[in-house]
Amino acid sequence: MGEALRGLWFDGRSSAAREVRLRLQPGPRGPSLVLQAGSGELLELRNEQVGWPERWSAGRMPRKLTVDLGANGSLQLDDPASWQQALAAAGHKGSLAQHMQTRWSMFAGVLLAAAALVLAFYRWGTPWAATQLTRQVPLGWETSLTDRVMRDLDQGWLKPSKVPAERQEALRGRFEALARSLPPELRRYGSYQPRLVLHFRRGMGANAFALPGGTIVLTDGMVELAEKHRLGDDALAGVLAHEIGHVMHRHTTRLLVEQGVLNVGLGLALGDVSWLLSTGSSLLTGLSYRRNHEAEADCFAVALMARTGGRTEPMADLLLKVEGDAGAKAPRQDGGWFELLSSHPATPQRAQALKSGGAGACR
Amino acid sequence: MQEGNAPARAGITAWPLEFTGSGGEYFRVWIVNLLLSIVTLGFYTPLARRRTAQYFYGHTMVADSPLEFTAQTRRMLVGFILFVALYAAFKFAAETGQDTTVAVMLVGGAVLAPYFWASAMRFRFNATRWRGVRLQFTAGWGEVYRASWPVFAFAAIWGAGFSLIGLYIPKERGTGSLATALGIGLACAIASILCAIRLEYNYKSLTVARGRIGGQPGRWKPQFGDFVRIWLATLGVFLLGLVIVLGLLTAALGGSFALLKGMKGGGMMAAFLGLAIGVAAIFLLFLASAPARAYREARMFQLVWNNIGVSSVARFKCRLKPWGYVGLRVKNVLLSLLTLGFYRPFARVSEYRMKTGSVTLHVKGGLDQLAGQLAREEQAVGDAIADAVGLELVG
Repeated sequence: MGEALRGLWFDGRSSAAREVRLRLQPGPRGPSLVLQAGSGELLELRNEQVGWPERWSAGRMPRKLTVDLGANGSLQLDDPASWQQALAAAGHKGSLAQHMQTRWSMFAGVLLAAAALVLAFYRWGTPWAATQLTRQVPLGWETSLTDRVMRDLDQGWLKPSKVPAERQEALRGRFEALARSLPPELRRYGSYQPRLVLHFRRGMGANAFALPGGTIVLTDGMVELAEKHRLGDDALAGVLAHEIGHVMHRHTTRLLVEQGVLNVGLGLALGDVSWLLSTGSSLLTGLSYRRNHEAEADCFAVALMARTGGRTEPMADLLLKVEGDAGAKAPRQDGGWFELLSSHPATPQRAQALKSGGAGACR
Repeated sequence: MQEGNAPARAGITAWPLEFTGSGGEYFRVWIVNLLLSIVTLGFYTPLARRRTAQYFYGHTMVADSPLEFTAQTRRMLVGFILFVALYAAFKFAAETGQDTTVAVMLVGGAVLAPYFWASAMRFRFNATRWRGVRLQFTAGWGEVYRASWPVFAFAAIWGAGFSLIGLYIPKERGTGSLATALGIGLACAIASILCAIRLEYNYKSLTVARGRIGGQPGRWKPQFGDFVRIWLATLGVFLLGLVIVLGLLTAALGGSFALLKGMKGGGMMAAFLGLAIGVAAIFLLFLASAPARAYREARMFQLVWNNIGVSSVARFKCRLKPWGYVGLRVKNVLLSLLTLGFYRPFARVSEYRMKTGSVTLHVKGGLDQLAGQLAREEQAVGDAIADAVGLELVG
């Protein structure tokens, strides 16, 4: 209760001010407001009839404060500090936003909640949404995309393979043996039955990659590297199993969907800060999913090789050799911040996991 | 703030406008909005906008009384949800390939755009109050659609332009004329830019002339020619900005271009580089155009606030210096980039403060003479759409 405060009342009928005295009265649903004009006119407003102005800062007060009285016009206060005091004394509870603005503890609480939500979105939300959406993508879309990409690659970057035909046949035999022995528990999408095809090409260094819908390309460079270091067919079979893993997990399609979900989600959350921040975090998160995909494909390779009686140690050695060859030209740092910017997990760790049969890394 | 600090002519009082908010305070308002929007998966947006408007309005002192933003939360929320539903329906139709529905929605959206604009203006005017008296936007629908003729002229120009270009473009050797086709394209482009300027002029003049406070109509004096001159000057500033940015870039990267040429057909690397160059080009365009955009904004602000008033009761004068504003914007853009956008609330406050502080209100006959009008409530979906397309509440 206390001393009556002074204010200027604009009743909405004209812009003329009327001097009023006002009181705040505590009530069960928050304070109510009583205005008394100099003429003796009395205006009583229940709590919900008043638009209680928000407090922007714990310290500084605005020069003047306006209280929205709805159809009764507005009330202007020249001394916001004593109004806030009276309001607190009458038991007014501010909004959550106001508490966050004026109390650090409240701000920190909501900050933690937001961080937890963003983390959950990263850890479960996006992968779940990607799985659901990827189920809806037909195999035909993937194969038509792959046909187009293969045409482009064959025109520009890849040439026909020079690996002897009998060598190709031997590797293809190994590949088909892998494709035949796919156990149901390695199929992430039960009804997804792509036709797995192996292509040999020359170009793009020592490389192997999978295109969506079942097309896998092995470059001559990779075959030659395995031969040069006498790593045997198990090394190449492991690489092929890894690529089959990408196909069966539908990683390309997933990545497109995941990047889409990320762009929308992070755009909504951080777009108001800046395009740079939202796009940057979306790209970094996308890369992190890609590293997960590589780890998934490695685990797939370990499981499939174990099933067909092959070993994954030679594949690990081959990976190290591939990196060694590339590393001779451009040394790559491992771990640390650089890792965040790469599409593959650090090779030594990958090789380690493959040699130990996926122990620890794979479920 | 003292009353009457300009020489008083025949009962005229000068009131400099003032913004009393601070960057640090608004930063808190903004970051709280951001966090609550994340936690509520975006549904806090209308409340966030309301709080932002209340912060800026409540610290804008007009003749020693703050402005008031009184939109009801419930209305803004309903407007926002309607907008989200409309947008989701459109996206769904587009994604599932329902071309007829998409076409109907696009044409419907274009035809209804003037309606939504006027609805947004009604909502915003009605929510603005000063000394207990509400602003009003009184333009009738017929008037709004008549003022929107440049929208329909734009559609007609390109409809005719495309068919003409189709006639002239050479299909075989010796037929048609590429020069004529290009000429028609250029003419269409110039005509559509003029349409855009005319639309801006029409809408601004309608906003002021059909705006009312306390029964007194607004006065609007700027001419269309003034707008065209500002746009031409802006074009000059943009070209200047482009030259400066490109010059700085060449000086800084002179060596690396040679290195770029040295790279030979490097497969994936070349594609990646192409993409990076594309992104960099868009970014540079954004940087080079920032001064021009600020210049246009300041010149327009200056023109409008020097040439409007409220019937015979009030006039405004504006002392905003366009180049000072450009300098402030350049500083703000650089700091926002350096802080990944976290400087933006401070930038917004500093720009708003410079604009507000440049305006002086001259009132004839005291502040008590405005009569309040009964408020007509307006649906908020137009306002939500206007916000989504970038027509900000606080500008």
